[in-house]
Amino acid sequence: MQGPEILTLSEAVHKYIHPGTHILFGGFTLLRRPMALAREIVRQGIGELFVTMNGGTVVEEMLAGAGLIRWLESTYLGLEGGMPVAYGVRLAIESGEIELVEDYSNWSFALRTVAGRYGLPFMPCLGDLGSDLLEYDSFGRAGLREREKDGSWKHPGIPPLKYAVIDDPFSGWGLHPRQYRNGPDTCANRTNSYFQPACGRGPEDNRTWPTAYTGRPGVKVALVPPLLPEVSVIHAQRVALDGTVRLEGLPGPDIDQAVCARVLIVTCERICRPEELRRTPEQNQIAPHNVTAIVEQPFGAYPTAVPNYYDYDYAWFQNYTRQVQHRSMEAVRGFWRRHVAGTANEWAYLEQQVGRERLLSLIADADYHYRPDPERRDGGK
Amino acid sequence: MGDRDYEDYLKRWGLQADMWTSMELLAVATAREMAGSTFAFIGTGLPLLAASLAQRTVAPNLTVILESGIVGPEIRHLPISVADPRAAYRAATLSTMLDVFGMACRGFCTLGVLGAAECDRYGNLNSTALGGYWRNGENRHLRLAGSGGANSIASLADRIIVTMVHEKRRFPVRVQYLSSVAGRRGPGAEDRHHYGLFRGGTVTVVSDLGILRPDPETGVLVLDAYYPGVDPEFIRANTGWELAIDEATPMPPPTAEELKVLRLQVDPGRFYLGRRVKGRKEDGKK
Repeated sequence: MQGPEILTLSEAVHKYIHPGTHILFGGFTLLRRPMALAREIVRQGIGELFVTMNGGTVVEEMLAGAGLIRWLESTYLGLEGGMPVAYGVRLAIESGEIELVEDYSNWSFALRTVAGRYGLPFMPCLGDLGSDLLEYDSFGRAGLREREKDGSWKHPGIPPLKYAVIDDPFSGWGLHPRQYRNGPDTCANRTNSYFQPACGRGPEDNRTWPTAYTGRPGVKVALVPPLLPEVSVIHAQRVALDGTVRLEGLPGPDIDQAVCARVLIVTCERICRPEELRRTPEQNQIAPHNVTAIVEQPFGAYPTAVPNYYDYDYAWFQNYTRQVQHRSMEAVRGFWRRHVAGTANEWAYLEQQVGRERLLSLIADADYHYRPDPERRDGGK
Repeated sequence: MGDRDYEDYLKRWGLQADMWTSMELLAVATAREMAGSTFAFIGTGLPLLAASLAQRTVAPNLTVILESGIVGPEIRHLPISVADPRAAYRAATLSTMLDVFGMACRGFCTLGVLGAAECDRYGNLNSTALGGYWRNGENRHLRLAGSGGANSIASLADRIIVTMVHEKRRFPVRVQYLSSVAGRRGPGAEDRHHYGLFRGGTVTVVSDLGILRPDPETGVLVLDAYYPGVDPEFIRANTGWELAIDEATPMPPPTAEELKVLRLQVDPGRFYLGRRVKGRKEDGKK
């Protein structure tokens, strides 16, 4: 059986990522972010990127700081270590260097990846309603949700609507407190403005049904379109030679968002023999047919954490804040130029910018899955 | 920990059994609001501290859920992000983000604890942008973090607690961008139900000066309690609308027991408790 390609970082980036690529970066905040691959993008200077991610922001901060992002689909732009909002990303958005930002919430974004993963036309969402997420459509305003004259979509990754809202054709049957023969519902929630907690009363007995969005009385359901990036990159602990992927610790949004793309690149701490992972298949999350390319890159998520391997480097985040906060975009560019672009490759980066001692100080403890060292964490003050 | 250990602790940190720092006060005030909750979606920092305290005091049946996919962790070392491996320690399950929001949708989110840059008179929150969403030359457009999981939690929880620093610019009449809906008031006074949000409707604001709750008739947040040593007029002066303060009562101060649990069990290293409340001196004034 033909497995995925096994490439170096430089080969994988050169082959699959080009100016303007619609690319999703996996992980979540400071967990398993594919930093090594993103650093290679910075080294190769590939710009105009259409970046999408659920819960940033260090990868996006680096790419924006290096001036490589043109469009951004985002749910969260906070950066740990002292930045409630990632600084370089913020500057790039406010200056217009990042031309468009499209906001979703964690949940609606995750639902989009499920629609993408399973080939569904949309997924239903009971959040985002009533908020400005539905009112502000950045891609729509820029005319990117239309068709060209020949009928093709302006961009293969931009759907015709940001959201749609329908009236539930089942009239909210699934939302009323469940009543079973042997007793009432066991869920914890107590509020429900469509149906009173006491069951048996139909919707006609209750308050006026909402008419927002559709203009008709009904149970409102937001629909979100599939997320269809060209490339997804995630960082895993292990990938087998045949492409079987095993994530350890919290998967976060990674399983769905990895397989909704056309191309999946998995960077990992260690490529292993298939037997090692197939012995306990219930612990594997992504089957080989989804994986396009594998790259073995130890410390490939540095400075973010990889459970069971190494902790995040809090000192890196604090230092970054100190270096760039309140400074000019030129200063931010300069930081990333010196810190990343000037290094020849990942090993040079780890040696020159991080150092063996620092890396070893992050190695995870077997019981905790992180490094429980109170002295090192004291930098929180 | 015995009394001797507590004495040593107090001596080491220069604290007293019956006095508190402003961060400790905030943690206690927030924890009390969690009484009776069963499933709480919380973020890191102060909400996590408060939840840990609540589990040991007023909400023993509380299951903590983190939006990253973590259910029921037994946290030993304080995490700095919901995806921090520390936040996953000895959890019941580690799942996907989709899964935990699905749980909330099903009905297992009785409480959410959120923060925001702006909170308006109805409790609606802005964590997305200031100075307008569309960037234009005139307004000073300030980009913020975005909704994250806040919108989803505010849409699905029975009840939300909003933790805020109490400054006038953070409490406008109307948020500049509506990231998370609390008591959404549309142009015709439409409430959240009108837009299809069928859960929730209870908002409590726990600021660093006092506690706000919505008036049952108008939905406008009024001052319900003020912290020890804080003047209600000062709170009114730091709120963007004409805050009603006449019905406010002083909050009962942290008890010695609450403080002891907070100090010895929740954050013994004072990793978070040791921080200053942003923008405030210890006496609660700006």
